[in-house]
Amino acid sequence: MSETLLDIKDLRVSYGGRSFLGLRSTGFEAVKGASLSIRAGETLGLVGESGSGKSSIANTLLGLVPAASGTMRFNGTDLAALDTHYPPEVRRNIQAVFQDPYSSLNPSMTVEQIVTEPLKIHTSMSRAERRERAAELLRLVNLPETHLPRFPNEFSGGQRQRIAIAAALALQPKLIVLDEPVSALDVSTQNQIINLLYERRDALGIAYLLIAHDLALVHHISDRIAVMYLGHIVEEGPADRVYHRPAHPYTKALLDAVPLLDPARQRARRAARRAAPASELPRMAEAGCPYRNRCAFAMERCHKDVPTSLDVSGGGTAQCFLVEGGTAGVSGLKEKVTT
Amino acid sequence: MTRLIGQRLLAMVPLLLIVSFLTFSLTALLPGDPADLILGDRATAEQYEMVHERLGLDQPFLVRYVQWLEGAVRGDLGTSFFNSVRVVDAVVQRMPATLSLTLASVLISVVVGLGAGVAAALRPRSWIDRLATFGATIGQAIPNFWFGLILVSVFAVALNWFPATGYVPFKDSPGQWLRSITLPALALGLSTSAAIARQVRSAMVGVLQQDYIRAARAQGLSALRVTFKHALKNALVPVITVLSFQVTVLLGGALIVEQVFAINGIGSLAIAAVRQQDIPMIQGIVLVLVLVVMLVQLVTDILYGLINPKARPS
Amino acid sequence: MTSASLPAQTTRKSRPAWMTPSTLAVVIPSVLVLAALVVCALFAQWLAPYDPLDQDLIASLQGPSAAHWLGTDDLGRDVLSRLIYGSRIAVIAAVEATSLAVLIGVPIGLFIGYRGGWWDRLTMRLVEAIVSIPGIMVAIVIIAILGTGLHRAMFALGILYSTAFLRLARSVVLTEREEVYAKSARVIGASPTRILVRHIFLNIAPPLIVQVTLTVGAVLLAEAGLSFIGIGVQPPQASWGTMLNTAASYMELNPFLAVPPGLAIVATVLAVNLLGDVLRDSIGRGIRVPAAPSTAPARVRTAPSRPLPPRADDMLRVEGLEVMVSPKGGAEVPVVTDMSFRIARGETLGLVGESGSGKTVTGLALMGLIGAGGRITGGRVTLDGTDLLGLSKAGLEKVRGNDVAMVFQDPTTSLNPAYTVGNQISEVLRVKQGLSRRAAWDRTVELIDRVGIPRATERAQAYPHELSGGMAQRIAIARALSCGPKLLIADEPTTALDVTVQQEILDLFRDLQDEFGMAMLFVTHDLAVAADVCDRIAVMYCGEIVETAPVDDLFANPRHPYTSGLLSAMPHGASGTPPLPVIPGSVPTPGHWPEGCRFAARCPHVTEACAAPVPLSGDARLIRCVRADELVLEAAQ
Repeated sequence: MSETLLDIKDLRVSYGGRSFLGLRSTGFEAVKGASLSIRAGETLGLVGESGSGKSSIANTLLGLVPAASGTMRFNGTDLAALDTHYPPEVRRNIQAVFQDPYSSLNPSMTVEQIVTEPLKIHTSMSRAERRERAAELLRLVNLPETHLPRFPNEFSGGQRQRIAIAAALALQPKLIVLDEPVSALDVSTQNQIINLLYERRDALGIAYLLIAHDLALVHHISDRIAVMYLGHIVEEGPADRVYHRPAHPYTKALLDAVPLLDPARQRARRAARRAAPASELPRMAEAGCPYRNRCAFAMERCHKDVPTSLDVSGGGTAQCFLVEGGTAGVSGLKEKVTT
Repeated sequence: MTRLIGQRLLAMVPLLLIVSFLTFSLTALLPGDPADLILGDRATAEQYEMVHERLGLDQPFLVRYVQWLEGAVRGDLGTSFFNSVRVVDAVVQRMPATLSLTLASVLISVVVGLGAGVAAALRPRSWIDRLATFGATIGQAIPNFWFGLILVSVFAVALNWFPATGYVPFKDSPGQWLRSITLPALALGLSTSAAIARQVRSAMVGVLQQDYIRAARAQGLSALRVTFKHALKNALVPVITVLSFQVTVLLGGALIVEQVFAINGIGSLAIAAVRQQDIPMIQGIVLVLVLVVMLVQLVTDILYGLINPKARPS
Repeated sequence: MTSASLPAQTTRKSRPAWMTPSTLAVVIPSVLVLAALVVCALFAQWLAPYDPLDQDLIASLQGPSAAHWLGTDDLGRDVLSRLIYGSRIAVIAAVEATSLAVLIGVPIGLFIGYRGGWWDRLTMRLVEAIVSIPGIMVAIVIIAILGTGLHRAMFALGILYSTAFLRLARSVVLTEREEVYAKSARVIGASPTRILVRHIFLNIAPPLIVQVTLTVGAVLLAEAGLSFIGIGVQPPQASWGTMLNTAASYMELNPFLAVPPGLAIVATVLAVNLLGDVLRDSIGRGIRVPAAPSTAPARVRTAPSRPLPPRADDMLRVEGLEVMVSPKGGAEVPVVTDMSFRIARGETLGLVGESGSGKTVTGLALMGLIGAGGRITGGRVTLDGTDLLGLSKAGLEKVRGNDVAMVFQDPTTSLNPAYTVGNQISEVLRVKQGLSRRAAWDRTVELIDRVGIPRATERAQAYPHELSGGMAQRIAIARALSCGPKLLIADEPTTALDVTVQQEILDLFRDLQDEFGMAMLFVTHDLAVAADVCDRIAVMYCGEIVETAPVDDLFANPRHPYTSGLLSAMPHGASGTPPLPVIPGSVPTPGHWPEGCRFAARCPHVTEACAAPVPLSGDARLIRCVRADELVLEAAQ
């Protein structure tokens, strides 16, 4: 594909830290040295459970939270160095759609005001031009123009999310951050939004950073997938490879935990789980690999050394000693594969 | 719990410093020369000098403040400009009347407010709810001193059940004390009862819609048990915050209601001090009132910690 | 994905919420009182029959008469005229003090709220200090400095009440700036000033207006109080407070003197406060409130399905259940209709549907816990031979907990935050089973251990907020099972949890069912979760069951177009790249259901026959579709 649009290196984000008379307390570190890159027009899926730090990466990229250290190169500009004060040409090129369409739209503004707000800030369009563009944007998200004078509380969740997407498309940005864009919606409307996002991306050449907890869903529209665990990006690679042949044990655990639509396979998986001994160690390991306490494959060295990102056969990287020497990681261990 | 109390006590120190500085500098802004007030029109220059020296008015402002603060810490708030009464003595002498009036009205407000609020919340939109809500709205619109006048004309003048004026200290006669503060406490407690009733109702209605109430009902616990064990304790959390604020309001209201019933409390002392521009007296009264308010806040903070486990420092 | 017991309101028309008869009954008199006040204030010269300062010592302290409608005071001045002139003082007082309070408080509050840091900390400390002095005392001190008189007293009150506006503006900025829409505004590059003025200020206006009404009332009361103790408006000027001051001195000679000014104050403050209440209720959340459907059909047509044949192992039988709810201010609408299913002993039935399908309401209805907004309007519910709907309140209370128990969606809110988790379990054991304190506690620890929580003795002492979501849900499950119920209703018990935790909880449900042998009604929106834990599945759409089947059959061979559509729309069901299969349109909300087949408008197989209500039919499997026998539908993958 084309050139790199966003390049994040060793990003750290922490909350609650403050300096008091020169004494520094770090507080809680949500992102512990993450590296990612997105090429123009590409979709990167970022997956993890709650507390994994995936939303912290989004908020930092959007300039809502400062980076503690590391770099975020966007189109050649290091955003981390700007300390959330982004210049307009950066702002207009990074837009966002948030999870909850009930709180992400200002309740006291009309649809037209919401959709044209970015145009007012970044362009010198006249009122008539803006209205014209607003109507066009609504068509892009398959909503009738007649919705323009209405208020958000008159719409369903799916319709609200379309309005939010229309506002994000208004400036034709290079990158849109999608933070759990469908998880608040009904199953039967989720795919409508996924399809819409997919169509618009192809038509307008926009790159997405798609943040979600559901690997299956992310797999549908991502080119590449990154998996986060407790602030670390433990695996990254082409979407099909990560989804079908996960290299990191955590990715595999995440995939195995998702209930299947097949009751028979489900029963087989449960039987296998019951046979395995349960771990009672704390979730967070103190030294060594952060996942080792929950890992069925933990070795002696996992307790001492922290694995760095290693290349996986089939593309991408994983932070696991199992992939040393360019193997397929956990998916390469034939005897352990259960399903 | 001791940690909580310790934290709160520590937090009181800067607040007291700010308040003391605020009152001291405000009263220093009073127009005119205090010596004029004390000496009258026909004073000699030496007399002025003497008074200035005695009051320390020839010192810079900050020095005077620090001296005053030092005295305050030792329990010495200076002497009135107009008689040789020590401010502390005057305040201590007047305080019991004001405090018992305030305390009695707090008691009335809590009992009436809780009762009416819970009754209204249990059956939203019923006649009890409407009555309580209407009563609370009216109660908050009635000036306490006017309500006092009405109470006097009905229960003292017409029916002669209670004395119209005066205050009998508790230690002289508990019975007479109770009779003497009943009407003033009712007058004072009316609007606070109304405020607490409204707060209890809305908190209770909110809590009764919570998942954990439904879950408790789903376990087959009786409505009575769910209301008074599970809901009330949670509903009291916001109410206690309001109570702390309302006690401050009651203390202020007491200053006015005292006038209706000719009770010699802090109210008449303060009004006289303002009229005469008796600076040390005003400063002393404000400081002592703030101290009382802070003690009340300390008590409510402790209550808050007892009721709400999330508020306890871990 | 929650499913509220009240239907989502998506009516297209909006109207101001205060336009209901009951609020108008409050608004109109209040506005009239305030209008009268303003008229009196503006035209006092013409309205007052006498000069308010004219003394007539011979005619002092008279009662009402033809010459003096409200009598005269101690100096023989006309009370009515003084009352009318007093309204002028009241209006001036309210306007002066309130506008000063707004002008000082709001800008400073907005500034420190947005700026934060030292400005904020310093200002807030100062405000805290002022607030901790009784208000009247602050006013007294300020008046001591400035001197007495109306304008000075109002200046004092303005400063005093500015703290309320300051704190309000600050707190609104602090909460609103964390709202997602404010974040969105930052993302599109709006400047701080623009966010403050255009996005946040719009949402400050409603609470600000309410605070203004509260302040006007408080100012009127405070002005009267200050004048009453002689340091506000000075005699002989006529204000309601000074009139009461006079009245207080002549209480025994002419108590009527206190009535007119007192009533004037009460009426004015009451009118202002009532208006404030109405405003708060109507504009509390956003400017407009969607109107409830006003022309909802009283009852949706159904084609009653034929009764289920009884079986020996039935634990729960639900037949023809119908539930209606009344949204606030709207007509009653059905949320569940023609609901029939059964659960055998030890069996798990999955009730699957999207939000608004009525699955949660069904669960609550079985427990008799729909709440004040709804009621059961038809059907039979039999648990192990007992008719639940026929039970008295006390009888139902006895059944709940002992025979039926429930686990809710969000474990962090379904446990009482004020009590330890152990207390909440042992309470049930003591009340429902009559165990002693000691025995109940021992059993509690045993149960906590049984649901897979390590260090049970210690964890029993924990408060809910000290536990993770997964732990809290285990506690909720332990409590539900404490009395060994025959039926456990689980309402989306894993929806709020992470996927790996969800798996653990689902395993726990299965294990516990093997051990306790209870029947389970498992309510969920996720077909895959249902595939994992259920023996049979009932799929719901728009308040009715559209298909019931054993779990393997349903997934291998769905027979209702909605089931098939839902299966292929699941993230796992669909394969490859977009476009992913979709069900067009969206779920209609209760009150907007079609007359015939409720899925018809979204169904690819719709025919003319679908316009009439469809009954649930079939033998081993029940399907609510007129074309069930002819259609060949897609299964998952």
